[in-house]
Amino acid sequence: MMNSSPRRRPPYLAEIVTAVALIAAPFVLPYLGSAPNTVNRILVWGLFGIGFDLLFGYTGLLSFGQSALYGTGGMVAAYLLTRAGFPHVITALVIGTVAAAVVGWLVGLVALRRTGIYFAMITVAIAEVFYFVEFNPLADWTGGENGLPGVPTPTIDLGFTKLSFTTGWSLYPFLAFCYFIGIVIALRIVRSPVGAVLRAIRENPLRATAVGHNIHAYKLSAFVIAAAYAGLAGGLLGVLQAFMPPEAFTFDTSGQLVMQTVIGGRGTLFGPLVGAGVWLFLQDFLQNSMHLGAAWKLVLGLIFVILVCFLRDGIVGGLRDLWRWMRRSRTVAEAPQEAAPVEAVPPPGPTAKALRARRAASTSTTSGPILQATGLTKRYGGVVANSGIDFSVERGEIRGIIGPNGAGKSTFFKMLTCEVPPTSGKIMFGGRDITGLGVTDVCQLGLTKSYQVNQLFNRLTVGENVTIAALAALRGKFRLDLLRNIAKVPGLEDQVENTLARVGLTARREVPVSQLAYGEKRRLEIGLALASSPDLLLLDEPLAGMSPRERVETVKLLKSVAAGRTMIVIDHDMDAIFELAQRITVLQEGRVLVEGTPEEIRANAKVQEAYLGGVHIEGHA
Amino acid sequence: MEDRNKKVAGGRRDFIRAGLGLAGGIALPGLSSHAWAADQAPIGTWPAGVKGNSVFIGIAVPRTGTYAVQGEDELKGWQLAVEHLNSGHPLIKQISPKSKKGGVLGKEVKIGVADSAAKPNNAVQAEQGFITQNHAMLMTGSTSSAVAVALNKLAQREKVLYVTGISGSNDTTGKDCVRYGFRQCFYGQTAAAAIGPVIVKAYGKNKKAAYLTPDYTYGHTVTKSCQDYLATAGWTTVTNQVAPLGAPDYSSYLLNVANSGADVLINVNWGHDAVLSTQQAQRFGILDKMKLVIPYQIPFLAPEVGNNLTAGVYAATDFWWTLQDQYPLAKMFVQEFEKKFGYKPEWGANNAYMSFALWAEAVENAGTFYPPDVIKSFEAGRKIQSTVGEVYFRKEDHQLVRPVFIVQGKKQSEMKGKEDFWTVLETVPGLPLMQKPDAFGCNLGDYT
Amino acid sequence: MISWSNFLSQLINGLALGALLALISSGLTIIYGTLGVLNLAHGAMFMIGGYAGFAAYQATGSFLVAVVAGSLAVMVLGIVMERVIIRHFYSRPHEDQILVTFGLGIVFVEAIRRIFGSESRLVPAPASMSGIVDLGFMMYPTYRLVLVGIVAVALLALYIVLYRTRLGMIVRAGIEDPVMVDSLGINVYRVFMVVFGIGAMAAGFSGIINAPVVSLTPEVGEAILVQTFVVVVIGGVGSFPGAVLGGLIAGEIVSITSMFNPGYAYVMLFAAMTLVLMIRPRGLFGAIGRE
Repeated sequence: MMNSSPRRRPPYLAEIVTAVALIAAPFVLPYLGSAPNTVNRILVWGLFGIGFDLLFGYTGLLSFGQSALYGTGGMVAAYLLTRAGFPHVITALVIGTVAAAVVGWLVGLVALRRTGIYFAMITVAIAEVFYFVEFNPLADWTGGENGLPGVPTPTIDLGFTKLSFTTGWSLYPFLAFCYFIGIVIALRIVRSPVGAVLRAIRENPLRATAVGHNIHAYKLSAFVIAAAYAGLAGGLLGVLQAFMPPEAFTFDTSGQLVMQTVIGGRGTLFGPLVGAGVWLFLQDFLQNSMHLGAAWKLVLGLIFVILVCFLRDGIVGGLRDLWRWMRRSRTVAEAPQEAAPVEAVPPPGPTAKALRARRAASTSTTSGPILQATGLTKRYGGVVANSGIDFSVERGEIRGIIGPNGAGKSTFFKMLTCEVPPTSGKIMFGGRDITGLGVTDVCQLGLTKSYQVNQLFNRLTVGENVTIAALAALRGKFRLDLLRNIAKVPGLEDQVENTLARVGLTARREVPVSQLAYGEKRRLEIGLALASSPDLLLLDEPLAGMSPRERVETVKLLKSVAAGRTMIVIDHDMDAIFELAQRITVLQEGRVLVEGTPEEIRANAKVQEAYLGGVHIEGHA
Repeated sequence: MEDRNKKVAGGRRDFIRAGLGLAGGIALPGLSSHAWAADQAPIGTWPAGVKGNSVFIGIAVPRTGTYAVQGEDELKGWQLAVEHLNSGHPLIKQISPKSKKGGVLGKEVKIGVADSAAKPNNAVQAEQGFITQNHAMLMTGSTSSAVAVALNKLAQREKVLYVTGISGSNDTTGKDCVRYGFRQCFYGQTAAAAIGPVIVKAYGKNKKAAYLTPDYTYGHTVTKSCQDYLATAGWTTVTNQVAPLGAPDYSSYLLNVANSGADVLINVNWGHDAVLSTQQAQRFGILDKMKLVIPYQIPFLAPEVGNNLTAGVYAATDFWWTLQDQYPLAKMFVQEFEKKFGYKPEWGANNAYMSFALWAEAVENAGTFYPPDVIKSFEAGRKIQSTVGEVYFRKEDHQLVRPVFIVQGKKQSEMKGKEDFWTVLETVPGLPLMQKPDAFGCNLGDYT
Repeated sequence: MISWSNFLSQLINGLALGALLALISSGLTIIYGTLGVLNLAHGAMFMIGGYAGFAAYQATGSFLVAVVAGSLAVMVLGIVMERVIIRHFYSRPHEDQILVTFGLGIVFVEAIRRIFGSESRLVPAPASMSGIVDLGFMMYPTYRLVLVGIVAVALLALYIVLYRTRLGMIVRAGIEDPVMVDSLGINVYRVFMVVFGIGAMAAGFSGIINAPVVSLTPEVGEAILVQTFVVVVIGGVGSFPGAVLGGLIAGEIVSITSMFNPGYAYVMLFAAMTLVLMIRPRGLFGAIGRE
C-alpha cells in the first residue's frame, strides 16, 4: 500500500522475501512432492496474473479477455522461434511482449469505452473472437488446432560461459528470474503515483475523475501493462511446453486466471501465484491421490464460490488481514460518534501557494467576475431542470444558493463543474469559456466541488484520499510515472499535511474511511475538494446530516477555508447560509428568483412564499 | 519524508542477489550432464528410465470430449498389449519373436494414463509429467492428429520415443515428421488412394462431391487427398463445409450441402462429430439425395449412428474384426480381446496393440533401450508379422507400410451377429498407396 | 452457395435458432434489468434444464413430463440460488456479482459432469413431432419447425405474465426503478426472487426443448451464454421486446453468414455486439444510462 505509516516497515521487504523464496524453492519443494514442471507452470501463471491483478485487483476492471493477449504474445514469440527461424529466444519473448502490449492498446481503446458489466461482456466477446481468428483465418501463422510445436528453450551466451536452460529444474531459474523481474516492476508501479490513481479508480471512478485525473488514460495504461505481462507469460508458456497451444486463447484460460487470482487474493500481486499453486496442486492431488477424476474442477469451483462469498480478498488477502488484526490489537481504533472539534486552522502551505500561483500565471484575466454563467439551461427530455440562468460571482466572494426542493440547485452545480453539459448557455471561468469541457479539465483549471452525498475512496485511508486529490493538482491529469515512488513527488507531503490540518483530520490520517464518523467523512469530502487548492470551491450541502454542534464547527471551517478564494455554497440550513454568505441567490423551479444580501433575502416576500407559501421564515429550515 | 528514500540502493542490491541465485541455481544437479564412463552419454530419459526393473510408458488418451468413445477402445488395446508383454503371450511372440516373458528386455512394462480430451495442450502437459516424474521410455496417445503432431515435437525435443495412437493426418509423417516418432496406422493419403477407385467404380466418373471437413490438420489433409485423387477421375468439389471440432449443430453446414447439388457426401468428420453430422444429415433429407462416403472410418460409428444409416456406405479402415478369417494373428488378437473386454475390438484397439508390439520388437532387436539404437532398429526395415499380414517401417518417414481395407456397411437383414456391421470388400496393399517419401516435406531430425 | 433455396432455408434455420435465443435471452435480460446482476450461470441453467428433462425422460418415457421437469427444476434452482447467494451480493460491487455467478456456472457444469458423465445424451423428440418435412425447396426436420411454435407460445405466455398480470407490472416497475418499488411498500426482495425464478425457468425450459435438436453435453450452455449476451446487448438491457427482436436478429445474422461460411457466424455476432456497444450502447429498446 502507499504507506506513510509512522511504523517503519523495512523497505523492499516484499522483494527480498520473494527472492529468497524463489531461490529456496528448488531445494525445498521436491521434498513436498512438487514436480518441476508444475512449479514452472505456477510461475508462468503467476506472472500472467501479476498483470491481471494490476488490472482487476488494483484498478477494478474485471476482464475475461486476458487470454487474447496471452495467446497473442505467445504466438508471436513462438512463430518467430519456429516458423520464422529466429535464433534468439529472449529477443523473441521481448518482441512477443511488445506485440501483446500493442494489441492490448488497440483492444483497450475499444473495450474501455464502457465500464462494469458491459466491459466484462465486451472482454468475453474479445476472448471468443481472438480464439476464432487465431484458429481459422490466421491458421497459417498460428498453426490452427495444432498450435506451434517445436519452441526451443533459451540459451544465454555470456562470453565466458553458456547458460543452457532445458527442461524441468533446469528451466526453473530462467522462469524464476522472469517472475522476479515482473514482481519488482509491479511493486514499483503499485508504490507509484500511478498505483495510487489506479486504486482511486477502483474505489470511486466518479470522484477520481472529479479531482482531476484522466481516468480513461490511466485505465488504458493499466490495460496495456496487463497485456504486456500476459504476452510475456504466453511466450514463456511456449518455451516451457516446447509447444504453443491454441488453448491459450480460450475463454477457459481467462476464466482460470480469474479464478486463480480471486482464490489467491486480488489486489495483492502475489495472489495469482498462490492461486495458481492451489489450483495446480489441487488438480493433481484430487485427480491422482483422491481419484476424483474429472471432479477436481467441481471442487475448485466450490472453493472459488465460497471464497468470493466469504473471503473476498482471497488467501493472501485473508492472511494479510489476519496479520493486521493481530498487530492492531495494540492500538485501539474506535469510530467516534462525532468529529473532533476543529482546532486552530493553519494557513495554506507553500505547495498550496505554489499551485495557485501557477494557475494565476496562466489565466488570461485577473479582473472581473471569476465565474459568469449566461443563459444556462438544462433540459432532460421534457423536463426543464434549469432555465435561462444568468449568474456571476466576484473573486473572493462567498455566495450562497438556496431554494426549495426541486429548484434545480444540484443540476445547476453540475453544469458549473461541467459534470453535465448545458442544453444551452455559456459558462466563463476566470475569463475562459469552459462550456462543454469535462469535469477533469475544469478541476485542473481550479474549480472543484464537494458533493452532497459523500464521494470518497472508501477502502483507503484518510491520508490516501487526500493524496489522490493532491496528486492530480501536482502532476496534471495524466502522467505515466510508473516507476517513481510516491513519496518522492515534490510538494505532495506538504500539501497533504496542510489539507488535513485545514479540515481538522490530521489525527485521523491512517484511519480507513469506513471507520470515520459521519461528520468526519463530510470534512474529508471538503478536504478532497480542497486538496488541489482551487480558486473556486463549490460546496453542495456541506452541512447535510450534521448534528448542531458539528454544524457550528463546519461553518467555522468553511469560513477559514474561504480565505483567499471564492466559494459558492448550497444548503438548506438558513442560519448557516446567512452567516456564511455575503450574497445569496435564490432558485425556484429552475430559475433565479432573486439575488441579494442575506438581510434582503430574509425579508423578501417572494422568497417566503416560495418556501412556505406565505409564512414568515424563521429559524432553520 | 520516508527513510526508504535513503535505501534506494537496496533495490539494486536485490538484483545482484537474484543474479547470484541464478548462478546458484545453475549448479543444481540435473542441469549439467556428467560425463559417463560408458561410451553413450545420457539422452532423454535414458538410462534413468531403465535403472530399475521396470520400464514406463506414458499414455495421453481422450477419455472425455468428442473422441472419448474411441479413446477408451484404444486404451484397452494398450492395456492388453502390456499384459501380453509382461506375460510373454504367444501372440506377442508371433509379432516379436525375441520377446520373452517378463516384459521388454526383462523389464516389466508399466503405464500411466492421462486424459487428453483430444487437446494437444493437455497431452503435452501430461507427457511432460510422465517424462520428468516417471522417466517414461516411450510415449503414446493421440486420437486427434493435432495431439500427434504436438507429441511428435515434444518427443524430438525431449529425446523420448513416441508411437502415435490414431492419427489420420498426412502431416504426422509428412511435414511434421520427427526422428523420434513412428506411426502404425493408415492415413489420409493411403485412405483416399484406397477408397478412390472403389467409389469411382461404384458411382461413376465426373461426379460432384460435397465435403464435410473438421477444421484441423486431419480434416484438411484427408479432404485434400480425396480431392486430389478424385480429380483424376473427373470428380469436382461443389462445396467444402469446414466445421470446428465439437460443433453441436451442423444445420447451417448441412443446408449448404443440401443446396449444393452434389451426388456424393464425403464426411471427413470423426468421432462424435461424425455421429452427429451423419444423423443430422439424414434429418435434413441429404442421405436420400446423396450417397455417403466415409474415407477414414470411425470406430463405433455404425452402432452409434444406427446401421440403417451406414448400410451400403463405403469406408476405408485400418482393421475390422472379420479379418480374423484372413489373418491368423488377427484371429488370435480378436479372441484375446473379446475374452478380456467382452466385445470385438475396433481398429483403434488394434492400432494400439500393434504399436506397442512393434516397439517391443524394435527394442528386443536392438538389445537396448538406448533411443538412437531403437530408432535404427525400427528403421532397419525388417518384415514383421502383424494382425494384418506382413508389415515393415519405411525408414524415410517412419510410416508403417501396411494394407488398407475397404469395407461396406451391412443392412440390418444381412447382419449375422450384433457386431457384424461391415463387410470387408477389398484388401489394398499399402506401398502403392503411399506418397513418395519426400512428397510431403518430411525431414526427420537428429538422432541425438 | 447463394441460391434462393439456400437463402430461404438458411433464413428458416436462423428463425429456429433466433426464436430459441429470444426465449433464453428474455430470461437473462429481466434478471439483469431488475436485479442488475449479470447471471453468468445462465448458460449452465440452460444445460441443467436439458439434463433434468433427460433424467425425467429416462424415468417416465414421456417428453411432456421431461419438459415440465426441466423447467421446474431450473426454476427451483434459480430461486434457491437467489435466496441463498445472490441476495447477499446486491450491495457488493458489480464485479463480485459477476464472479459469483461465474463460479456458480462452473460448479453447475462440473456437478452435472460428475453425475452424468461427459458423453452426450440424447432426448429424442416425441414421435408425433419427429420426421422430416418437405417444404419443396428444402427438407427440414419437423421438430425444428415445431420448436419455433413452442417457443412462440412460451414467449406469448411470458408476455402475458409480464404485461397483463399484477406481478408482471411490479416486475416491470422493478426493472425501471427498484428503489421506488421498495418505497411503495412492495417487498422488493420477493420480487427479485420471483424474477430470478422466471428468468431461470425460461433458460431451463429452453434447455429441455432444445435437447432433441443438439444432443446434451455439459458444455452445451457455454456457447449459448455468449450468444445471449449478444442478444441482450443488441436488444437492450431489461427489455423483453428487445430480447425477442434481438434474438431474431441474432438468429438471422448467424443464418445469413452461414450461407457464405458457417464458421464465421459467431464472429459476426460478436462483431455486431461490439458495434452496438460502440454506437448505441443502450441497444434497440434499452433505457439510457443503464450500465
